[in-house]
Amino acid sequence: MKLFKYMAILAFATVALFTGPAAAWEPTKPIKIIVGFSPGGGTDIVARTLLAASQEFFPVPLVVVNKPGAGGTLAADFVSKAKPDGYTLLVAGGSESTSVPNHRKVNYKIEEFVGVIRLIRSRIFIAVRADSDIKSIDDLKAKAKANPGKLSYGTSGQGSILHSAMLLLAKDLDVDLRHVPYKGGAPAMAALLGGHLDITMVGGPEEAQAHLAAGKIRLLALTSDSRFPGFKDVPTLQEVGVDVYVDNMKGLVAPKGTPPEVVTYLHDNFKKGLDSKVWEKLAAKLKLETGYLSGEDFSAAMQSMSGSIGKAVKGL
Amino acid sequence: MDVFLTALQSVFDPLNLLLLFVATLGGITIGAIPGLTVTMAIALAVPLTLWMDTTSSMMLLLGLYGSGIYGGSVSACLINAPGTPAAAATGLDGYAMAKRGKPLKALRIALWASVCGGVFSIVLLVLIAPQLADFALRFGPAEIAALLVFALTLIAVLSGGSMLKGLFAAALGMLLATVGADPMLSIPRFTFDFNELFDGFAFIPVLIGLFAIAELFEQAENRFRTGTELIDISGGDPKANRITRKEVRACTVPVLRSSALGSFVGMLPGLGASVAAFLAYAETKRTSKSPERFGKGTAEGVASAESANNAVTGSAMIPMLALAIPGDPPTAILLGALMIQGVTTGPMIFVSNPDVVYTIYIVLFVALVFMTVIASVALKPISQVLRIPKSILFPIVLVMCVAGSFAIRGNVFDVYVMLGAGVLGYVLRMFGIPVAPLLISFILTGPFEESLRQALIGSEGSLLVFLEKPIAAFFLLLALVMVASTIWRERKSGALKLPQAN
Repeated sequence: MKLFKYMAILAFATVALFTGPAAAWEPTKPIKIIVGFSPGGGTDIVARTLLAASQEFFPVPLVVVNKPGAGGTLAADFVSKAKPDGYTLLVAGGSESTSVPNHRKVNYKIEEFVGVIRLIRSRIFIAVRADSDIKSIDDLKAKAKANPGKLSYGTSGQGSILHSAMLLLAKDLDVDLRHVPYKGGAPAMAALLGGHLDITMVGGPEEAQAHLAAGKIRLLALTSDSRFPGFKDVPTLQEVGVDVYVDNMKGLVAPKGTPPEVVTYLHDNFKKGLDSKVWEKLAAKLKLETGYLSGEDFSAAMQSMSGSIGKAVKGL
Repeated sequence: MDVFLTALQSVFDPLNLLLLFVATLGGITIGAIPGLTVTMAIALAVPLTLWMDTTSSMMLLLGLYGSGIYGGSVSACLINAPGTPAAAATGLDGYAMAKRGKPLKALRIALWASVCGGVFSIVLLVLIAPQLADFALRFGPAEIAALLVFALTLIAVLSGGSMLKGLFAAALGMLLATVGADPMLSIPRFTFDFNELFDGFAFIPVLIGLFAIAELFEQAENRFRTGTELIDISGGDPKANRITRKEVRACTVPVLRSSALGSFVGMLPGLGASVAAFLAYAETKRTSKSPERFGKGTAEGVASAESANNAVTGSAMIPMLALAIPGDPPTAILLGALMIQGVTTGPMIFVSNPDVVYTIYIVLFVALVFMTVIASVALKPISQVLRIPKSILFPIVLVMCVAGSFAIRGNVFDVYVMLGAGVLGYVLRMFGIPVAPLLISFILTGPFEESLRQALIGSEGSLLVFLEKPIAAFFLLLALVMVASTIWRERKSGALKLPQAN
C-alpha cells in the first residue's frame, strides 16, 4: 500500500513538474455528482450531505443524480465514459470500486478513475447471535475447522465488499464457510436473529447498534485497521492475528484524463465543505465517520484494497 | 400516561399539523403519478428532516408514506396506470368500474378500504408489535419459500375463463422474472450483455406498459372513439356513484381478511405491498360466490386489494420498531430518519424512547384522518379527468408514462422496457390472455427463487428442509390442498379443456 502511495505521489509530482503552474480553473456550469444507488441509501446520503456542506464554496450549482442499478456498476460505467472535464463525478470507493469488478465482468476498471477526495469510511463487523458458542475469531476458526463447509454466513449480496471481506478472512484462517447472499443488510440481520444463519457480516456500526444494545448479537471483530470509537472493546482482525484490512470507503472520483488543475480545484473546495461546521453537524447526526484522504491517497487505497480482494477471489 | 399526553401535545402543534397536511397531500399526488414512488418521495424528504425535531420529521415522513400507497389507486382506477406497484391489483377491478361509468365509486371504495387496512394494521402495531415481530423472525428462507409456493397456487384462481391461458400467462411472467443476475451467484441470465438488464426488468415500467400503454394501443385502435364510450360522470344518476349498503355488506369480510393478510405479509422482510395486494385479491376471488364478476368491476376486488396494500404500511413498521429490521424499502428509510434524530429502534425502544413510539402511533392515526378528509374533498374534481376527450387525455398519459419510466433509475432503457411491455400487453389482450397471472408470477418469482436457493444452501441441497420445518410444511400442505381442490372443481366444470374455436 505504501509503495502505491509513493508511486502515486511520484507520478503526480512528475506531471506537475512538466506541466508547470497551471492556470486556475473555475467551473462555469453545474457539477453533477452521480450516485449509483437509490435515494435514501448510504451512498446517496453521503452525496447529499456533501452537497449541503460544500455548495457555498462553489460558484455553480452542485446536483446529485441517482443512477441506481447492478450494484452501483451502471453509474460507475457511465462516469468512466463521461467527458473528463470535471463536471461529472462519481461517489465511489465501496463495493462497485474495490469488490464487484473482482467477482464479475464490468465495463470499467478501477484505474479508469482519478481520486478527487475521500470523505468517509464505514467499518465492517463480523457478528454472531449473543447465545452462539462462537465467542472469538479463534472459536470461529476452531468450529469451522471441525465442521468444514457447515457454518453459514450472510452478506448483503454476492460480490459485495462484505462478501469479499469474509472471503479474505476465510482464506487467512484457511477455513471453508458457506455463503448465503441476501438482498441488503437488513434481511441478512433478520436471518441471523431468527437463527437461520450462524454468522452475518454487518456493513456499519449503525446496523449493529440496536441489536447490541438489546443484547441479541455479539461482534467478533471488525475488518478495519483500527478500533471503532463507538465499540471500543471490539478488536480488529489484525489484533487477533489475521492479516486482513477492508474498509467500505466513500469519496469522489472523476473520469481518468480529468486535468490536474480541475481535480485540484474540486479537491480544495470539497475539502472546505468537509471541514465546515455544516458537515460536522450533519455527519454526527447521520453517524458518518469522516475519513479524509487526498485524491491520490484515495486512489491508492482503492487500488490496494481491490488488489488484495482480487487475490482472495482468484485463489478460490 | 404523561408521556402519551406530551406526545399528543407535540403532534397537535398547529405548525406540525400543517406539515402533516402538506405531506399527506403531497403523498397522494406523488403516489398518483405513475413513476414517482413513495420510496423516492420519502428518500428525498429525509434531508429536510435534518433540521427538524423528531415529531415534525415523523409527521412529514409518515404523512408521505401512508397516503402515497393510497394515491397509487387513483391513477390505477382512472387511467389504468398504477401510480405505485401496489395499486396494480386495485386497478384490475377499479378501472373496469370506472369504464362502466362509476369512477367515483371505485375511488371511494379504494379510499375506505385503505382506511380500514390502515387502521387494522396500526391497531396490531399498537397492541402486539413485539410478539408479532418475534413471530416474523421465525420465517427464514424455507418458510418464506413455502409461503410463496402457496401464493403461486393462487394463480389458478386469477386465470379467469381458461386455466390453460392463465398458466401460459403465469409461465411468461416467471420467464420475464428470471431475466437479470441470478440471486445467489450474480451470474447474468438473458441479459444479452445489456448491463441495464442486470437487475432484471424494472418493475414499474413493466406495470405501466402492461396496463396503461396496452390500454392506449387499444384505444388508438378504436380511434379514441368517444360517443357511447365516453364516461359520463356528471350527468345521470348521482346515486350510481354512491357505495350501496349491499356493497358494504359484501366487502366487510373480504376487507377484514385482506387487512389481516396484508398485515402478515407486511411484517415479513422482502415481500411488500404489491405481493400483499395480489394475494388478498386472489384470496377474495377464490372464496367469492361469484368469481366470474372479478375483473369486471366488483367492489370486493377493489376493496380487498386496497385494504391489503395499506395494511402493509402499519405492519411494516412492526419489525422496524421492535427489531430495527425494516419490512420494506420505505421503512428502511424511516429507520435511517429516526437514527438521524438519535433514536435507535429495536426491542429497547419501548423502554428508552416511549415518547417516540407514542408519537409514531398518533401520527399514523392522524395521517389516516387527514388522508380521508383530503381525498373525500378531492375525489370528485380528480375524477373529472375522465371528461377530457380521450384523444387529448391519452397522449398526456403517454408523456407521463415515458417520464415516469425514465425517472425510476434515470435510464432511457427503462422507457424501451415500458414500450415493449405495452406491446406485450396489447398482444395478450388480442388473444384474451389474462394479465393478472402474469403479474403475480412476475412479482413472486424473484423472492421465491431467492428464498428457495437460500434454504437449499442452508440444507446442502436437501429438499427435506421444507418438511422438517413445521411452518414450511404447513404452507406446502395448504398449497397441495389448493391445487387438488382446483383440479377437482375444474374437472367437474370442464374448464381444463381448451376453449372451443368459434
